[in-house]
Amino acid sequence: MAVVHEEVGHVEHAPPPAPRTGWRRWTAGGWLRTAWLVPLAFILTPVLVLAARHGLGYPSSPFSVLNPLDDSGLNEDFWQFAQPDLQPLITVWTVLVPVAFLVGIGGFDYWSYWISGRPTRPEDHSGHGARRWQDYFRVNTDHKVIGIQYLVTTIFFFIAGGLMAMFMRAELAQPGMQYVDPQGFNGLFSVHASLMIFLFIIPAFAGIGNYVIPLMIGAPDMAFPRLNALSFWLLPIAGLMMMSSYLVGPFAAGWTNYVPLAVQQPEGNLMFQMGVQWAGASSIMTALNFLVTIITMRAPGMSFWRLPLLVWANFATSTLVVIATPFIAGSQFFILFDRVLHTNFFDFAEGGYAIGYQHIFWFYSHPAVYIMMLPGFGIASEVISVFARKPIFGYRLMALSLMAILILGFSVWAHHMFVSGMASWLRVPMMVTTMIIAVPTGIKVFSWLATLWEGRIHFKTPMLFGLGFVSMFVIGGLSGIYLGSVPIDIHASDTYFVVAHIHYVLFGGSLFTIFAGLYYWFPKMTGRMYNETLGKVHFWMTFIGFNVTFFPMHWIGSQGMPRRVADYDPMFANWNLAISIASFFLGASTLVFLYNLIVSWRRGEPAPSNPWRALTLEWQVSSPPPIFNFDAIPQVVGSPYEYGVRGARHAVMNGKPVEEGRKPAPMEETVP
Amino acid sequence: MVVIGTVAGIATGGIAYFIPWLPDQASREASKIDGVYWFVTIVCALIFALVAGVSLYAGWKFRAPPDDMDDGSPIHGHTGLEITWTAIPAALVIAMSVFSGVVLAQVEDIPDDHRVVRVTGQQFAWKFTYPDLDRTTGELVLEVNRPVRLVLTAEDVIHSFWVPEFRMKQDAVPGVETRTVVTPTKTGTYPVVCTELCGLGHATMRSWARVLSAEDYERWAAEAAEQAGGQTQTGETETGETTTGEEGGGG
Amino acid sequence: MATAAHAHEHPPPANASSRVDARLLGIYIFIASEVMLFGSFFTAYFFARVVVQNETWPPEGFELPVYLALVNTIILVTSSFTMHWALQSIKRNYRAGLVAGLTLTFLLGLTFLLIQIREYTRIGFAPNDLAFGSTFYGLTGLHGAHVFVGLNLLAYALIRAVRGHYGPKEHEHLGVEIPGIYWHFVDVMWIVVYVTVYVV
Ligand code: HEA
Ligand code: HEA
Ligand code: CUA
Ligand SMILES: [Cu+2]
Repeated sequence: MAVVHEEVGHVEHAPPPAPRTGWRRWTAGGWLRTAWLVPLAFILTPVLVLAARHGLGYPSSPFSVLNPLDDSGLNEDFWQFAQPDLQPLITVWTVLVPVAFLVGIGGFDYWSYWISGRPTRPEDHSGHGARRWQDYFRVNTDHKVIGIQYLVTTIFFFIAGGLMAMFMRAELAQPGMQYVDPQGFNGLFSVHASLMIFLFIIPAFAGIGNYVIPLMIGAPDMAFPRLNALSFWLLPIAGLMMMSSYLVGPFAAGWTNYVPLAVQQPEGNLMFQMGVQWAGASSIMTALNFLVTIITMRAPGMSFWRLPLLVWANFATSTLVVIATPFIAGSQFFILFDRVLHTNFFDFAEGGYAIGYQHIFWFYSHPAVYIMMLPGFGIASEVISVFARKPIFGYRLMALSLMAILILGFSVWAHHMFVSGMASWLRVPMMVTTMIIAVPTGIKVFSWLATLWEGRIHFKTPMLFGLGFVSMFVIGGLSGIYLGSVPIDIHASDTYFVVAHIHYVLFGGSLFTIFAGLYYWFPKMTGRMYNETLGKVHFWMTFIGFNVTFFPMHWIGSQGMPRRVADYDPMFANWNLAISIASFFLGASTLVFLYNLIVSWRRGEPAPSNPWRALTLEWQVSSPPPIFNFDAIPQVVGSPYEYGVRGARHAVMNGKPVEEGRKPAPMEETVP
Repeated sequence: MVVIGTVAGIATGGIAYFIPWLPDQASREASKIDGVYWFVTIVCALIFALVAGVSLYAGWKFRAPPDDMDDGSPIHGHTGLEITWTAIPAALVIAMSVFSGVVLAQVEDIPDDHRVVRVTGQQFAWKFTYPDLDRTTGELVLEVNRPVRLVLTAEDVIHSFWVPEFRMKQDAVPGVETRTVVTPTKTGTYPVVCTELCGLGHATMRSWARVLSAEDYERWAAEAAEQAGGQTQTGETETGETTTGEEGGGG
Repeated sequence: MATAAHAHEHPPPANASSRVDARLLGIYIFIASEVMLFGSFFTAYFFARVVVQNETWPPEGFELPVYLALVNTIILVTSSFTMHWALQSIKRNYRAGLVAGLTLTFLLGLTFLLIQIREYTRIGFAPNDLAFGSTFYGLTGLHGAHVFVGLNLLAYALIRAVRGHYGPKEHEHLGVEIPGIYWHFVDVMWIVVYVTVYVV
């Protein structure tokens, strides 16, 4: 919201304030201030809650809130807090503590100056760019720093979520219960999925977009740098909140968190609801930022039909985020109210409608799956075109199909509910729209293939992941077609067939493109080359491990193994053992990736500005780019994909034309 | 090249056919649904074979030597091709939708000689009530070749009734009456599985569906009749209370 | 961290590739998102009212103070006009009008909020009385929260106005225009809520 206070080019700057000294350092925005604000908020919360309860005449001795034996029961007043448990406290904690954190690190400083009408800090961009590693650990308004902050954070949550998956596979390796109790298992896959979706895939794409988009469109930064910084800092909050649900018993109703089960669950469920709110706020703000940046800050000559497809993809995605995300916010608010205020949005006994929750949830969460895929389509388009040394095939149709998916994506949500008992007339229309989405997606797939045709393909790691993505995503998409057909879904719904689908589209689709993007832009982001051999090793280990892990799930699913079970019919024992072993191999492949990342970042050999001989703008500046991206805004004169077209130009940088096939450094030199 | 695709596709399809993908068919619906399943499988196998074939072929044919500095031929698009690969998938999905739609209608139409069984899910067990016998059991007992209409509801949270061999699945929602229909065609005992996460006991919320031959069923019904007195109330009250919501209709 | 070295470092001015001002576009997109948030609440309302068949709506024993709410509606609508006046004034560089307009808008909004709270405490049913109560408090409460945010924005604009910021030029009064846009949105949203919840 605070975005509206931005007044760029507003001349009312005071001279830079002298850096605070002595005890006043504790009041300056930063970790010191956070260090005392957060505990303060934590302690203040119970005080406030108890005071409120006292003031409103509810039993307000600490025990009445904490002690489960208290039975002051429900009374009909609408200030009534849920009784008798920690829920009021947790709810207020999950609001106040994060706010304290954000205030502490200084996320609101500029705005607080602005709104109070005091002269704002000078725009000397001291909060801009990274000159020392410490600069990555404070509120930083440089989109490149934020991009890297995003990626590092999300990879952390990927590891966390992945390790939970490892525990699940260990438990599932044999029938019967071995390591965790059922509730614990339900917690594992719920947190696993939530971390992977809300704190890995979605924000990882936001991170790549953050780093690359302004460079690609020839902008010095995002439209709202401070909002951008703020959106990042909401992420660790959301993630830690979801993980800390383990302190009060993890939320265990699945990432879909269906009611009425969600209302029955222990307090940990609140952490999911609030975590989703913070993560959602973050992605809405980022999406808004992307949209405004793409619309208002393109370099001269960068018409929409000259945008790189990654930018198109993020344009579509951001639109989806802005329109759809409020619905999951709503759905989780309702559960929160049902739990804490004892409202009856979904309680049938009181006139609520349980299936209503599913409609609201899926109205977000189906578009969400395209939020998790479209940016990947963009990355794939960049990578495939560059490494096939060919213009992307059917550029305009590629862009338009993104838009088609965007629109169709809103008309299919009920395909998650074919057996839910919703209005049965809704199923066939939704089946048709669901299937039709195959058409625009197919256009993209076939265009990628056609881009390969008569190209000169270099199988660098990004390209391997790019091509791996195409084939794996097609498998996932096709299994989606199975599920889209109502009769088949009646059989396959909520079985491991769906789990297979999930991972083929999310891992084989989204994650493969994220890997491709990370390797592709690694030289640009770090100024160093990654280790090609290790990269290839990582790809093949992942590719094999992935297929052996997830393909058999189609079979065990079709044969009758339901999903979300900690224990299963012994007839599936062999397959599950095989799957578990493969999944550990898959997990190990991630170690190679992490090793490559860290080591290359520290002592990989220096990267030239344009190791891939790409035409898009981000490769025309040094690696890593200067703090303000460009000394002068480039002039765009043509399409970004004109490989092999003699004399074609994409842009003019500081007077120097960017020629097709510009070769500052031949490939073999740049690749260890 | 499309040829390569087709051949490979048929091959994969063939292989796929011999892997035991689906449990055996124990209901009229099962065979119909499997029909769709295999139709979709063949379409998808073809498509995947095409995609995989093309990318492998391209990867092998157009691979560039590492030091290669040239670019590929600047093809920007080809309207003909683009129309083709918009039209054909469109046709295919329409075909699949129509087929699915028809089968859906078939498996869901209710012959008038059907019986009714009320199914109630609760954490973590199934309850089956036979209004005509006024009896309640923990296992579903059905007569072979006799369509039965299942009227489902739940007492606490959402559960989902599934018998893999029947291919039919339907959520049981508190406060809502949902419906499905099966016509068992094979005598035998099949697992009843709960497929909607319903808490701690979800994994173990299982029961059995016993499909009896006509005479066995008569015998069972008879003994049901005499034991009825003892058995009734449980089922009666449960279903009586829990179906207070409205029908599954609506948005 | 502001080292003198970078004190005067500035990025190259970005190219303006659209006639729309970034901040205006921003608030419009944000409002689109807000509309969808209300959308989700209206959906819940729809389920409780239409999908679950009720014999009467509101269920018997419940009634809504339609006329009080009407008064409230009128108050809020008026505040939109005063807001508009404030903006027009600063465009003509008539500062007194700006301050007066903002103050009036703020006070009207505040009255609205107070009346609504009063309504809550007197209305005789609670959010946990049937889905009816839940959806009623849901929608009106969500809107109330937006009024509250709007009031904050107005307050900020007011403070700055009093301290002599803003001017007649395009980019000089965005700080008034944008809260204004948001306020009008809150206003229109209330009319929708009022009509659905109280009238229909
Ligand atoms: C990245 C995420 C992603 C993506 C892109 C998709 C894409 C699709 N999904 Fe998937 N889906 C999920 C993530 C995703 N899904 C998740 C996470 C769930 C589980 C949620 C839960 O936990 O319950 C789910 C569940 C899910 C269900 C519900 C299953 C159930 O619970 O019963 C259905 C049912 O219709 C479905 C369908 C589809 C379809 C038709 C597509 C289509 O968009 C696919 C289109 C692509 C292709 C078809 C391949 C390429 C096309 C061609 C090569 C052209 C030729 C093809 C034909 C002619 C067919 N998905
Ligand atoms: C982007 C999304 C994403 C990703 C990447 C993954 C990755 C993985 N998933 Fe997940 N999964 C989902 C999204 C995702 N999943 C969703 C949405 C569900 C549905 C949940 C629900 O039903 O509500 C689900 C559910 C799900 C299930 C079904 C649970 C159930 O229904 O009972 C299983 C079971 O095998 C599973 C396994 C795995 C495995 C083995 C990986 C592996 O790929 C993980 C590999 C990564 C690591 C292992 C971490 C990093 C590695 C190291 C740090 C090395 C050290 C570790 C070892 C060597 C052991 N997932
Ligand atoms: Cu009942 Cu799962
Ligand atoms: Cu979907």
